[in-house]
Amino acid sequence: MAEQSIAGAAGMTMAADGDRSARARIVILLLSVALALSIFLSLTSGASDASAVRVIRDWLTGAVPADAALAARDQLIVYDIRMPRVLLGVLIGAALAVSGAVMQGLFRNPLADPGLIGVSAGSSLGAVAIIVLGTTWLAPVTLALGTFALPLAAFFGGLSVTLLLYAIATRQGRTSVATMLLAGLAIAALAMALTGILIFMADDRQLRDLTFWQLGSLAGATWPKIGTVGPVIVLALAAMPFLSRGLNALALGEATAGHLGIPVQQLKYTAIVGVSAAVGASVAVSGGIGFIGIVVPHLLRIAIGPDNRYLLPASALLGASLLLLADAVARTIVAPAELPIGIVTAVAGAPFFLWILLRKRGVVDL
Amino acid sequence: MIEARSISVAIGGKRIVSHVDFAARPGEVTAIVGPNGSGKTTLLKALTGELPYSGTVALNGRDLSAMKPVEAATLRAVLPQSTTLSFPFTVREIVRLGLIGGRSGVLPGEDARLPERALARVDLDGFAGRFYQELSGGEQQRVQLARVLCQVWAPVLEGRPRYLFLDEPVSSLDVKHQLIIMNIARDFARRGGGVVAILHDLNLTAMYADRIFVLHVGQLAAAGSPTDVLNDELIEKVFDCRLKVGALPAASVPFVLPQSAA
Repeated sequence: MAEQSIAGAAGMTMAADGDRSARARIVILLLSVALALSIFLSLTSGASDASAVRVIRDWLTGAVPADAALAARDQLIVYDIRMPRVLLGVLIGAALAVSGAVMQGLFRNPLADPGLIGVSAGSSLGAVAIIVLGTTWLAPVTLALGTFALPLAAFFGGLSVTLLLYAIATRQGRTSVATMLLAGLAIAALAMALTGILIFMADDRQLRDLTFWQLGSLAGATWPKIGTVGPVIVLALAAMPFLSRGLNALALGEATAGHLGIPVQQLKYTAIVGVSAAVGASVAVSGGIGFIGIVVPHLLRIAIGPDNRYLLPASALLGASLLLLADAVARTIVAPAELPIGIVTAVAGAPFFLWILLRKRGVVDL
Repeated sequence: MIEARSISVAIGGKRIVSHVDFAARPGEVTAIVGPNGSGKTTLLKALTGELPYSGTVALNGRDLSAMKPVEAATLRAVLPQSTTLSFPFTVREIVRLGLIGGRSGVLPGEDARLPERALARVDLDGFAGRFYQELSGGEQQRVQLARVLCQVWAPVLEGRPRYLFLDEPVSSLDVKHQLIIMNIARDFARRGGGVVAILHDLNLTAMYADRIFVLHVGQLAAAGSPTDVLNDELIEKVFDCRLKVGALPAASVPFVLPQSAA
């Protein structure tokens, strides 16, 4: 046993007895360190020369800075621009990656992804409806819900698509992948068409909001936005670990999961609501950021296996780190301008997705 | 005791099983036989609560439909005909899933070693680190049986018998492993548990079953001990095949029966 843990710790071979939990714990530890480094990198780098290290050191020691004006500027940049952006990146990266992993477990298929099968499109439709119609037809809704109207609309948009997809693609406990992907395409096309109608109705100011938002970006991060969507994402993420055992059992099929003592219907609804909440909240603030949900769990399954007890936390950590790195690229590659982060993740993620498809051809029953 | 009364199951408006009475006693291996499409698997799925049915199913005197999944999982484990996976689980990870909801019945500290012991029982020693998807069909079936065994490792828990439901447990196995698996089933019954198995091989059924339920177009054609049930008339009626029970082939034709196993 001691030898096996050492082999696992070295990360070189799978323990001979097929138990990958020791290796998974090491990977989770390493990913935590990686996330800490990514956060540090994101806080300290940017278009301005503000020193996050100095700001934090001053704050910790209570030292009075020599140049008060400069210190105030740096403080503003670090506190009000970089910190919310980093925090939002962490939340959304984790939400997207975990949502992908949960959805793949639910559909029993490694290609399921909220972005790919139309959940994000449904969320977008909900969000755009609020942006465009929020002052006219949907005024009562925005009045009643205030800043929560947008994330809630995104949530219900995503939820409707997920429920619809599940109902269409599942027959007698078997989810057909082909049906799921094709139905997802159709639903996404419909949602995008409806979104298009709304965009057609939008005025100039709304159009600017929409364009920026649709490409996907963390640039709009503010503390109030985090206050709105942060709790939703944190709650959804906190619920996910309770699904891990059930999702593991679900890998054997719905009937077998039930025979193993898992309340399958309850599991499915919790997962669907959780994913819709996390994706809806993410889409509401940052638009469509694709491929995190498919790339991250896939890489981790290769590294530590498909056990959701480890896969879900590891996905959260790696998703957060990757999104921060993508954001760093988005901020710096065309500096002083900024690339929408959705473009960065798509450019890196789409070829990766194709690679999975090619590698899996013949293994996955499409 | 498993007691089912007047079980009927309809799938897509078509009645697959109609008014079947069924019982399986602890300490016995109960076999369900019948031709293809006679409703064997459908009956088993009703008995395990996987398909909606009319009629009543009681496990140890308690109504199955009133049980929570985890309560049912403590009383019985179910082996499906085949299980495909879309994620790269190792054999050990699959077998361990048997411990997820129910209670194996061994001391808490021994649970961790149970997957290895179960794999050894089904003659898969040393397979724990292999990937499930890379195994042959027969090996996969035995991995699933090891998982099912983990779920109800102790045939009797707190004085109450537990049950194994096996849907064609030996259909893709070679003769050696057919005997190993059927011996596991018989051993489980001898130690106080109950076994319900769908079987196709009538010789194997005659050898291991204490009671046989014969299904024919969704209805019960006969029930009883192997000597009561397996006769020429029933086999001709149910299987539509004129066979003679106990007739030996011509001396020049070799035949091999499981009963001859040393």
